[in-house]
Amino acid sequence: MESGLSTLLSVSIDFETSHLFFPRIIHWLLACLFLLVLVFRVIPFLAAVRRGEHSLPIIGESMDVLRFFGTLALIAAYFYLMAAIGNLFPYTGYGFLFVSMAFVLLMSLLYMHERTRKNLGIAVVNAIVAPSLAWFVLAKLFNITLP
Amino acid sequence: MEFLSLLDITFFLLAALGALVGIIFGAIPGMTATMAVAVCLPLTYALGLNHGLALLLGLYVGGISGGMVPAVLLNIPGTPSSITTTFDGYPMAQKGQGERALKVCVIASLVGGLISAIVLFLFAPILADFSIKFSYVEKFLIIFLALTVIASLSSNMLVGIFSGVIGVWLSLVGTYSISDGGNGKTRLMFDFMEPYLFEGFSLLPVLIGIFGISTILLEAEKGVKSGLTNEKIKIGKGAGFSLSVFKGRLTNLVRSSFIGTFVGMLPGVGGSAASVLAYTQERNLSRDSSEMGKGAPQGLIASESANNALTGGALIPLLSLGIPGDSTTAVLIGAFTLQGVQVGPLFIPENADTWYVMMTALVFANFVMFFLMFYAIKYIAKVIMVPKHILFPIIVMMCVVGAYAINYGIMFDVWTLLIFGVLGYLVQKVGLEVAPLIIGFILGSSAEVYFVKTLESFGTLSIFFTKSPIAVVLWILILASVAFSIVMRLKSRRELKADLPASRLNKEELS
Repeated sequence: MESGLSTLLSVSIDFETSHLFFPRIIHWLLACLFLLVLVFRVIPFLAAVRRGEHSLPIIGESMDVLRFFGTLALIAAYFYLMAAIGNLFPYTGYGFLFVSMAFVLLMSLLYMHERTRKNLGIAVVNAIVAPSLAWFVLAKLFNITLP
Repeated sequence: MEFLSLLDITFFLLAALGALVGIIFGAIPGMTATMAVAVCLPLTYALGLNHGLALLLGLYVGGISGGMVPAVLLNIPGTPSSITTTFDGYPMAQKGQGERALKVCVIASLVGGLISAIVLFLFAPILADFSIKFSYVEKFLIIFLALTVIASLSSNMLVGIFSGVIGVWLSLVGTYSISDGGNGKTRLMFDFMEPYLFEGFSLLPVLIGIFGISTILLEAEKGVKSGLTNEKIKIGKGAGFSLSVFKGRLTNLVRSSFIGTFVGMLPGVGGSAASVLAYTQERNLSRDSSEMGKGAPQGLIASESANNALTGGALIPLLSLGIPGDSTTAVLIGAFTLQGVQVGPLFIPENADTWYVMMTALVFANFVMFFLMFYAIKYIAKVIMVPKHILFPIIVMMCVVGAYAINYGIMFDVWTLLIFGVLGYLVQKVGLEVAPLIIGFILGSSAEVYFVKTLESFGTLSIFFTKSPIAVVLWILILASVAFSIVMRLKSRRELKADLPASRLNKEELS
């Protein structure tokens, strides 16, 4: 009986495939947990949605579509252009500096609710000063690598 | 006393600056201490270890304390840990006692912070000394225990475990590193990803993405409303505050501080749990709790001393075991790695000077927080007015610098921000939990090494039960935390059932 238990618990790991040993356990664990979550959480939740007690997350909720997807698009464009322009001026951080100015201004405009002359003025000044200050302190004073 | 030579004027200035910036972050609703530390990380790249730590610990203490400002003045908790501060703080502000309420909070915060610093100072070296003897078996079980504790304290245990295991899975992407005794092969990715993900996702971009970018996405979805006008903030007259508020409240102050410290030690449990627990204990144990929730200073004392006591508590497992106590200390682990310091049982014995420097920074930051908030609270309260359309673009910009510079200029780290920003957003939207996911991500790869290496040397799973008496104790603790969670669940279900007939009765009476 005892030897049966010890063979059951004994494990040998082949070094060549040892990188897959732990991930395999995690995969099984994830699959089991996912099933449990599905049965105990997701299905009761969907039933409540059907009864009208809850709304579906993301799809069923009201959302500021322009600001949400605008943010995603702006961030993606910011990251892409920063590298592209940074490659034109290597080791200067200009890619970061110039693209950040445009990004900060556009994101401010996207989030601004009341576009008064004063608010626009502050946003423009902020878009010029904040990236310049960050660039000067980090790239020039602290010698930190910037795109 | 050699460490005294490491303390210069810059050190104290950085700690003070950190506390000030932290208070500002904490005071702006939606921004947390974790975000403050994550966003300001790039500033520490150029600083040495000691100066960097001064800044980060200042940010940590300031960030946790700052949450009290909007909690009292606007009824919005600036950080999750100040939820219970709103219960009594806002009613006091409405009565025109805003400044009095804030001053009570500031003193309670200082006491909480200092008590937890003392506990940290006394307790962390002992725990570290004890855990030095741990082999891979005990180390694996400690991580297993940490993940079980997080899961059992999550609002839903199943979801907590699931989130934690997703974090572990994410940490395994990349190579099974040769330096850890692995075979150097990649897994969990397609071939074309190898140039980018050979070493897996970098810790800091992941953390900055989850705590910085996803917060902004969540706000953007809601339309980035400010909704604040100058008239809405009523700070009231300074008159009316005297230390006599604390008369007879010493037990509450000390008890709440210890509760905060203890909750801080439990991995992955945030400040909200600490302050809620301290608040309910005060309500249950106090002789007169009838005024609580209507503007009683005793509620503020419980809430604020507990959430500031979290800081010292959360540093205990970080510095003695290498396991972060909350999400902010998870970011601190990144800062240590950046400076080439490995936190774990050997940290305190091998870096005694750094340890004393950290304690000095922590205590000093608490005093700076006290003086700033006590004497300049009127001006600090104004920062909650800074419009988000100015603030958010700057935060994204700082996140980029932090991610790009971490590995000296790798653009993929910047894209990691966006990947994990979106992931963090989705995780929070579908109801998974961020804290267990992050702790799973941080501890996952070590758990793999400890687990696989143990099995390679011993060849049997039974070693995890029979290696040492400590292993047995750890198993008992693991089972106890699971049992605790199940008992609490059953208890709350029973209470809910008992409440239901009563509420139905009330409805019938009303109709």
